[in-house]
Amino acid sequence: MNITQILFWFLSALTVFSALMVVVSKNPVYSVLWLIFTFFCISGHYIMLNAQFLFIVNIIVYAGAIMVLFLFVIMLMNLNQSSEPKKHRWLRMAGVVAGGCLLLVLVAALKNIDIKKQVAETNTGDIGLIGNLGKVLFNQYVVPFEISSILFLSAMVGTVVIGKKE
Amino acid sequence: MNALLLTAVFGVIMMLSSFLLTSKTAIRGLAVSGMVIVLAANVLEMMGIVFFKIDTKDMIAFDRFSLLFNSIVFISTLVYFLLSARDMEKVGINYGEYFALIFFVLCGVTLSSSFHSLLILFLGIEIISIPLYILTGSDKRNLKSNEASLKYFLLGAFSTGLMLMGIALIYGATGTFSTNGITTSPTSALVIAGMLLLMFSMAFKVSAAPFHFWTPDVYDGAPTVFTSFMATIVKVAAFIAFMRLFNDEFGSLQSRWQLLIALITAITLFIGNITAVFQQSVKRMLAYSSISQAGFMMMAIFAMNADAREGLLLYSAAYCLATIGIFAVLMKLKDYSFDGFNAFAKQQPLLAATTTIFLLSLAGIPLTAGFLSKFWMIKAVAGTGKYLWLVIFAVLMAVVSVYYYFRVIQAMYFKEGDGQTIEASLPFKWTLVLLAGIIVLLGVFPNWIIYWLYF
Amino acid sequence: MSSVPMSHILFVSTALFFIGMYGLFTRRNMITMLMAIELILNSVNINFVVFNKYLYPDKLDGIFFTIFIITIAAAEAAVAIAIIINLYRSHRSIDVENASEMKW
Repeated sequence: MNITQILFWFLSALTVFSALMVVVSKNPVYSVLWLIFTFFCISGHYIMLNAQFLFIVNIIVYAGAIMVLFLFVIMLMNLNQSSEPKKHRWLRMAGVVAGGCLLLVLVAALKNIDIKKQVAETNTGDIGLIGNLGKVLFNQYVVPFEISSILFLSAMVGTVVIGKKE
Repeated sequence: MNALLLTAVFGVIMMLSSFLLTSKTAIRGLAVSGMVIVLAANVLEMMGIVFFKIDTKDMIAFDRFSLLFNSIVFISTLVYFLLSARDMEKVGINYGEYFALIFFVLCGVTLSSSFHSLLILFLGIEIISIPLYILTGSDKRNLKSNEASLKYFLLGAFSTGLMLMGIALIYGATGTFSTNGITTSPTSALVIAGMLLLMFSMAFKVSAAPFHFWTPDVYDGAPTVFTSFMATIVKVAAFIAFMRLFNDEFGSLQSRWQLLIALITAITLFIGNITAVFQQSVKRMLAYSSISQAGFMMMAIFAMNADAREGLLLYSAAYCLATIGIFAVLMKLKDYSFDGFNAFAKQQPLLAATTTIFLLSLAGIPLTAGFLSKFWMIKAVAGTGKYLWLVIFAVLMAVVSVYYYFRVIQAMYFKEGDGQTIEASLPFKWTLVLLAGIIVLLGVFPNWIIYWLYF
Repeated sequence: MSSVPMSHILFVSTALFFIGMYGLFTRRNMITMLMAIELILNSVNINFVVFNKYLYPDKLDGIFFTIFIITIAAAEAAVAIAIIINLYRSHRSIDVENASEMKW
């Protein structure tokens, strides 16, 4: 077991544990904090996968922007009371059963993937860096990039429509 | 490409218009003329005149099928604007923004009808969904509307998550996002799992059972003007995306998904029709009727042959126009229950007559567009030569659907009541008459639409 | 990272996906449900990056899809927060079933 593997197992265990804590915590503020922790662990995975740009984007956008927005809303509404009634039992059961079936399907699909193709990373290091990404983004992915601007515009208009006081 | 860019541009123009123009009539006029321009540009593109040539790296493919579908959608939206744009004023003060959001939705519709890459499918579906969450919740002081928007958001985001997982698995199996079809044989488990996830998420979007449970609440809670838009144009757009996805990408695996789609179709038809019978509110009845009509449209996905493609286009036209008409009349009423329609024929004979035509078309009575489109669907399924029980079941369910559509007609013509006083302007009435005329004409000459697919 | 088999990290992302799903189905607090959705999206992101790096390392498709997902998730979160604030303003609660004139 070399250092990469140890690091991987450590990060994975932390990721799953903190993700569980997000869902299990009664207090929304703790949930948000655990979620931020999860995002840092996931960013760690990205860096181990040589995706440096994603690492930084994940931290800036998720942990930086979205989570701060969540925390802000929770504080604003003073929602940190931890009394939350449970959902119906049958609904939870249905959720667990449906989820379990899907999990089985996915695990079956992923189980023998290693046999299919075992290409180790050939060109390590610099492919996830911002220069290479930029070249591909503005050549091959320029159309979806522009299209996503429409999406942002609509989200912006929508947020103003809903958020503005009448 | 024309329509894609112009809808986005008009979205921006409408957004700016809300603070540049003060008069609501001016905003409405701008929106209607924008719609006409978009429609004209799209028709020009069908004839081969493209204003903007953009290299999309094979991510978007505007073929005849998608262009024709876009035209149908734009015509429906134009009719929708003419009939219902006035009622948007009652929802809230952001009149121009509502039009902007609708134009953005149309931009998403053009994307999702012509994607050739799973990335574009995802973007298109998201551009459709995000403005819709807002439009659902646009009646801000109404608790029901807020709640509906919340539920719509949660389930929409969840189904997007499923779709993304599916795309990820397909990417893992094929290494590309282009929808050129799965060619790897033997089919890996990854492909099957990804296909299932994509199927479930698309079933969510088109509200096919058993993923339909959000539909009645969301359609009921949303302001009626926007329900009309959501239940018609957005739903058929999701169907076109569904069809393109399963035709282009999973066409070679048809034998694997056909049984599942047949089951979904049957369950959708059953639940939609049976539950619609028990509704007391016409708005909610129309929500369930939209589920049952989705069941009929699912038959096109099941059959996936030339008849199915023609039939789906015809069905979208017939369903959109008739439902927009009914909703336009419904919006004029104050009481949405069946009793609200009592003695409607005495009050407004013209409106009652046109509403009858719309309802007959939805029920699939001969000489209307609805009949022919249902006929096309059944022909498509029969053409596959498999699962003939589905045909019999669909006919049976069509008979059941006659009951709840005729309940409205019965209330209008044969029930006594004080009747509600409603004001309908003359242009409104004439547009409705024109719409009814189109539905009857399409029911006699369906080739007017089919012709454009092959000329 | 080539010493770690691909299936292991895929199992991590699958676990995240189902933790998110569990949270979405069992919690009633809007904000927590939103966070569950973010978990689901993140598990998808990991999947994309892993497939990209292990199976198709000469192209960047998976990474780009991830970037698009991150940006769109941000837009979605903004819209969701607006809806939640609006609901809270009129109803003083963001419990999904508390706010229920309609049945689920």
